[in-house]
Amino acid sequence: MPEVTVPIGPHHPALKEPVNFKVIADGEKIVRLELDLSYNHRGIEKAAEQRDFIRVLPLLERVCGICSHSHSTVFAKGIEEIMQLEVPLRGQYIRTIIAELERMHSHLLWLGVAAHEIGFNTLFMWSWRDRELVQDTLEEMSGNRVHYGMNEVGGVRCDLTPNQVRAALDRLPHLEDRIARYVEMVNDQQTMLLRFKGVGKLTREEVLNYGAVGPTARASGVDYDVRRDDPYLVYGDIPWNVVTDTNCDVYGRTCVRIGELRESASIVRYCLENLPEGPVRANTPKTAPAGEIFSRYEAPRGELAHFIRTNGTNKVERVDIRTPTLANWTSVAMSLVNQNLADIPVIVAAIDPCLSCTSRITLVSSPGGTPGIITFDELRKRGQTRYRGCGP
Amino acid sequence: MTPSLTLEFVKETMMEYGTAEQARQNRIRIATTPDKVLRAIQHVLGTLGCDRLVTISTVDNGTTFELIYHFIGPHRTVVSVATEVPHEDPWVTSMSGVLPPAGIYERQIHDLFGIVFRGHPGLKKIILNEDWPPNEFPLRKDWKKNPDTYYGGIKEGWSRHA
Repeated sequence: MPEVTVPIGPHHPALKEPVNFKVIADGEKIVRLELDLSYNHRGIEKAAEQRDFIRVLPLLERVCGICSHSHSTVFAKGIEEIMQLEVPLRGQYIRTIIAELERMHSHLLWLGVAAHEIGFNTLFMWSWRDRELVQDTLEEMSGNRVHYGMNEVGGVRCDLTPNQVRAALDRLPHLEDRIARYVEMVNDQQTMLLRFKGVGKLTREEVLNYGAVGPTARASGVDYDVRRDDPYLVYGDIPWNVVTDTNCDVYGRTCVRIGELRESASIVRYCLENLPEGPVRANTPKTAPAGEIFSRYEAPRGELAHFIRTNGTNKVERVDIRTPTLANWTSVAMSLVNQNLADIPVIVAAIDPCLSCTSRITLVSSPGGTPGIITFDELRKRGQTRYRGCGP
Repeated sequence: MTPSLTLEFVKETMMEYGTAEQARQNRIRIATTPDKVLRAIQHVLGTLGCDRLVTISTVDNGTTFELIYHFIGPHRTVVSVATEVPHEDPWVTSMSGVLPPAGIYERQIHDLFGIVFRGHPGLKKIILNEDWPPNEFPLRKDWKKNPDTYYGGIKEGWSRHA
């Protein structure tokens, strides 16, 4: 059968990470993948050069709707380092609590999305319901569910009251129970084992070669985690473990994320129980001396890096943002080769990108044949139908 | 865990490529020239034991563009290789041959800054959309919006409901 080109995408102007795949397939097997990202460039890096440090944080927080705290923390900690500012310990603890809650809500969201992609909608409903516990805690602490706006250069915007701490601690046992249940499920649920195992293989060498980051890399035994390698906030002083796996496939990435859920819950518990007294914010100068800093952060999806250069004023000269999803695309393009067309949704979902981008797909049945458009939902159904009846 | 790289070791091994300095712990920066950058990077991947490119950062300095390649390895030290290319004819050798992940970053920089990476297999648009006007690079400091040009189907004062 001759090779056909299946364009997926190209874009949805309302969504945040539009991606256009051109999948070259031979029958059901994928031969090659070509990428075109980001139809709407928002020019945030350019806009950041025009705002002072107080106004730039809310802007950078809007780079991403899921890891909003990551972007503002990585920038704030970079600027603080240039200013040689000491952030009060309580402020650092609060930043860590928000960061880990964010990781939990992101991973629970991912688990739901991945479950939905394989047609396991019960798990989708469960994990999104449990995610609400995390969201409630975040809303209670910051007043917001998405853009928390907790960070300021020099510390955090608001303190935690004893009531907020108690309410968060009260929610944790239930959450920990649920996470324990997910750990069990990932080991014995046939639907998950069948659709995740052996899908989207990436060996350790491939991960290093293609520069994948975060849970995608850790699922192939590459134990890079910025929280340990380049400690920031309070990660250097509190007990926690880097979660890795050696399955090297979508199943491994699921195990890593569920393991990280457990770690995050224990970090949040530790920080809440050992929250030091004191101020939450330091007095900050308005300007930063000229300098440059390469600030790294472990966002839920992997290593996030901001390259910041200052010029002695109250604005940055340049902020260069490298998001984890961008680093992961090369590995996706490689791990899709030789896989089934029906596995595209789950392999792409396994790096946890903003999936909504692949909302439209044009099917070309044969070269010169009439192209028709199918939706992403139909592609998902195609995958589910294909695997129906494959169970034991 | 492998011990961190020391500045002395990096200085010694990278002497022929340029000067090395250490901003703080775990950050070593090597400044080199565009013609040596490919060999310097091969050296960083070999002798210095780095196994991964974190990103390529770009800064517009007015008369030059600065390209900074950040690497990381089991020693957990970020090694940055910096080089400057002139504004008039900005080009540098592509790293995508030695480093597959560089390909996607180079496409992005080509889009936004107009730096040409010679030897890149497919230096196509990745960030900007296909009808973005040619030879306009939005992240350059001297870039100004042209009021008569459409950017991504939109121009100044344009309204869907007009």
